[in-house]
Amino acid sequence: MDVENNAATILDRIRAKGAEGDLIVDEGQALSLKARDGELEEHKVSSSQIYGVRVIKDAHVGTAYSEAADEQTLNSMVDQALINATFAKVEADEKILNTTGSLVTDDALLCPSDEVSIENKIQFVLDMEGDLAAKDKVQNVPYNSVSDSIVQRRVFTSSGLDASLKQRMCVASAYALMVDGDKNVMDGSGRAARQFDQLSYAGIVEEAYERCVGLLHGEPVPTKHYDLIFDEEFQVEVFSTFASMFSGKTAKDGVNPMRDKLGDIIADPRLKISDQPLLTDGFGYALFDSEGTATRATPLITEGRLETLIHNSATAAHFGVSTTGHGIRGPKSTLGVSLHQLHIDKGSDSPETLFSGEYLLITDLSGLHSGANPISGQFSFGAAGYLCRDGERIQPVRNITVAGNFYDMLKKISAIGDELFWNLERSAYMPHVRFADVAVSG
Amino acid sequence: MLGSNIADSVVDHALSLGADFAELFVDRNQVNNIATLSNEVQSVQSGIDFGIGIRLVYGYKVLYGYTNKTDLDELRRIVSELSAKDLRDPINQKLAFDYRKPEEHHPASDVLSLDACIDGKVAYLLAADKTARAASNMISQTRGSCMQREQSIEIFNSEGLHIGDKRNYIRTSLTAYASDDGEQATGSWNDGGLRGWEIRSDISAAETGSEAARQALVNLSAKACPSGRMPVVLGNGFGGVIFHEACGHLLETTSVAKKASVFHDQMGEMIANPMVSAVDDGTMANEWGSINIDDEGLETQNTQLIKDGKLTNFLADRLGAQQTGYERTGSGRRQSYHFAPASRMRNTFIEPGEDELDDMIASIDKGIYASHLGGGSVQPGTGEFNFAVQEGYYVEKGKIQYPVKAATLISTGPAVLKEISMIGKDFSLACGMCGSVSGAVPTTVGQASLKVDDILVGGNA
Repeated sequence: MDVENNAATILDRIRAKGAEGDLIVDEGQALSLKARDGELEEHKVSSSQIYGVRVIKDAHVGTAYSEAADEQTLNSMVDQALINATFAKVEADEKILNTTGSLVTDDALLCPSDEVSIENKIQFVLDMEGDLAAKDKVQNVPYNSVSDSIVQRRVFTSSGLDASLKQRMCVASAYALMVDGDKNVMDGSGRAARQFDQLSYAGIVEEAYERCVGLLHGEPVPTKHYDLIFDEEFQVEVFSTFASMFSGKTAKDGVNPMRDKLGDIIADPRLKISDQPLLTDGFGYALFDSEGTATRATPLITEGRLETLIHNSATAAHFGVSTTGHGIRGPKSTLGVSLHQLHIDKGSDSPETLFSGEYLLITDLSGLHSGANPISGQFSFGAAGYLCRDGERIQPVRNITVAGNFYDMLKKISAIGDELFWNLERSAYMPHVRFADVAVSG
Repeated sequence: MLGSNIADSVVDHALSLGADFAELFVDRNQVNNIATLSNEVQSVQSGIDFGIGIRLVYGYKVLYGYTNKTDLDELRRIVSELSAKDLRDPINQKLAFDYRKPEEHHPASDVLSLDACIDGKVAYLLAADKTARAASNMISQTRGSCMQREQSIEIFNSEGLHIGDKRNYIRTSLTAYASDDGEQATGSWNDGGLRGWEIRSDISAAETGSEAARQALVNLSAKACPSGRMPVVLGNGFGGVIFHEACGHLLETTSVAKKASVFHDQMGEMIANPMVSAVDDGTMANEWGSINIDDEGLETQNTQLIKDGKLTNFLADRLGAQQTGYERTGSGRRQSYHFAPASRMRNTFIEPGEDELDDMIASIDKGIYASHLGGGSVQPGTGEFNFAVQEGYYVEKGKIQYPVKAATLISTGPAVLKEISMIGKDFSLACGMCGSVSGAVPTTVGQASLKVDDILVGGNA
C-alpha cells in the first residue's frame, strides 16, 4: 500500500479505539561519495521510510514507530502506542489540532530535479580530494564527501490534515591534514546547495587550504579578556547551543532561565533576533511544524527585549498563549519545541567599525555542547582563530579556551555588522556580532 | 529475518557483477524508552527499526546501500545501482553459506521481546527521583530514563559466512537539577550493560538518586575555575573518556589507514609513559561495550593496545586489515544497517597502577581534581581534545579547596599519554555512546584515578 492508504488505515484504527492521533511519515533517498588517494573510496545509496504515530486517549499520550510498513506491523504500532499511553501522566494540554485540508511545498522551489550524472558527481569528489591533496604541506584529505539527498515529511492527523514538505540538499565538504615538521592541523570547508550543479569544489579547496595554512603555526595568546568575533559557522553554533533560552518546553519544564523574563531587557538594545521559517534560501525552511501548524516569522528579541518564547500547542496552552508553530517531533520522538531558521537583523556597524582595534576572530570551537550549560549560560570552549587588529590578522591562535556566560555576553555586545550571511548548512542568517571583554586562557 | 535463498541470490548477483566481496547485514531492533520528569512518567516510547545493509567491495573501494525492504527485486536493484560504475567480469566465486551460531558470552534473561517490564522500570526511576529530591529542598527536579533494546542481526557474505546474534542492551540514568537564588546546576548518574532488565538486581535506585543529587548540590556551590596550565587528577571510571577520545580513536584503522592518526607509523614505539598499559576488550561478560561477534561476523577479542608505554596493536576491521596489513581484531562495528562497518572501540581502558588517590592530590601545588568528566570532542588527525569537567575541585598545597564550575580540559592525546605520572588502584568502568564514521555504538571507558602533570584548564575565574 502507498503512504496515503497506510495513513488512512492507521488513523482509522486510532479513531476506532476511541483515541485521536497523528502520524509522521519520513521518507528519504540519498547518495553519498567519498574519495581517497585519487580513487572512489565509498559510494553509498539508500532509501528509507519510517512511520511514527502519536495517540492521545483520555489525556494520556503514547508514541510508537516502525520501519516495517506491512499492515500487521503498522496495526501493532498503533496498539503499542495505546499501551504506552496508559503509563504516561495526564497531559491535559496536549491535543491533536483541529486543522484540516492540505499543505504542500513547491517542488520547483525546494526540490528541483537534478540533471548531473553520477559520473560527474564521482569526478567532482575525486577532483576535490585530488586538488586539495596536491596543495603544499597537505598530507592527505582524510575526510571528504559529496552528497545529494531528498527528504520528504508527511504529517497526517485524525482531524483530517495532510501536510507534505519535500526538500533536496546537495553538500560537498573536504578536510585536510596539513603537516609541517612537528606542527600539524586539520581543517576544512564545505558548501551546500539545492542543486548539484550549483556546487563548485574550487572554492572549497581554496578555503580548506587557507584555513589549514593559516592555523598551522598557531600559538596561544596571553591569558586575559579579549573582544571576540566568531566566524560564520561558529557564531551560529554558539547561538544554537543556547537556543533553548527561547523554548516554551524548557520553560514549562522549569529549566529555562528566561521563563520569567518576557518583556525584560535581556540583551543589547541593538540586537533583534527572530525565527524566519519561510526564507526559502535556507535548508531550515518549514511551511508547517510537526503538528501541522502553518509557520510564520516570530520576533524573539527586539531592541534587546525578550518578546516571546516559542511554543507548540501544548506548551502554548500551558502558558495560556497561542502556538507559534514551533512544534517538533520525529517519527521516533515525542512532541517538543525547536526553532526553524534563526535570524539576526543586520546592524549599522561597517566593517571598519566592527573590525577596529584588537580582537580575536574565532574560526574553530570545540566542546560546544559538553562545555556549555544552557540553564546557567556558563560555557568554556576550546578555541582557535586569529589575533587581529583593525581587520588584519596579526597572529594565528591555537590551544586556548574561551569562557564566560552567554546570557551576560548578550548584554555586552560592542558592534553588530551591516552584512548578513548564511552558515554552511543554511540554517541561520545573521551578521557578525562583536562580543566585548570575554575571558580567554592561553 | 531474511531467507537464505534470497541472500544467496543477492550475493551471487553481486559477484556476477565483479565485486571482490559482498555482504548482507540484516538488522532488527526492538526498542523501548521510558522517560520520567520528577515523580511522573513523561513518556513511554517503543518501536521497531528494520533494514538491510548491502556492502560490496571492489579493491579498496566500498559500495554501500540500504533499504527497509526484503524483497529480492529491491535488493538486486540496489546491488546493480551500486556496482553500475564498476562492472567487470566475475573474479571470485561465492562459497555456500554455512550457518553457525556464535557462543553466547553475555546471557540475558529479562529481555524486551519477552516483557518490557514497564511497571518495574517506572518504579525504579520514581524511587531514584524520590531519593534525589529528599536529599535537599534545593533539588528542584529530576529527569530519569530507562532504555532497553534488543538487536537481532544476521550476516551473510560471499565467503560462505552466515551467522546470527542477539544483543540485549539496558541503560538507566537520572539527572538531578539543583536550584538556589536563580542559579541552577545539574548532576547525573547512569548504569548500563549488555543484558536485560535483570540488571535491576545489581543497581540501586537509592544510590542513583543520591549520587545525582550530591553532584548537583556540589556544582550549585561551585566557584569559577582558575585557568592556565596545571596538573590535573582525572577521576576513575568515566575519566577514561579522555583516553577513549584522544588516543583510542587514533588507534582505529579507520584513521590509521588514512594516515589521519599521529600514531599511524609508530607501531612498536614508546608512545606513553612506561607505566601506561591500555586495553580494548570486547569479551568482558555483560559489559555495555561487549559483543559476541562484531558486525562483520568475526568473534570479538581482547586487544592489548599499549603495553608498558609501547604501542602494540591497532583496532582493525576487514577493510582496515586489508589496507594496513594488521590482523582483524573483531572490532568491525556499526550503529545499524544505515552504516558500513568500521574499526571501533568496545570496552577501552587504562589498566590500574599502584598509586593512591590521596597521594596524587597531595602531590599538587596548584591544580584540579576532575572527579567526574562530562562530554567532549577530539580532532582525530591531531589528537587535540576538549573535555568538560562535570564535577571538579581546585587543589592547592596538596589539599582540595573548593568545587569549580565551567572548567574545560584542553590538550592532545599523545601529549597526555606522556604526561601521566601516577596511576591509582581504584579501577572502574563507565558506559557511554561513541559517535564516529559508522554511527553511535555502545562503548565502555575506564581507568583508575590518574595524574596528568600538565593540561590547559579553561575557566573563567
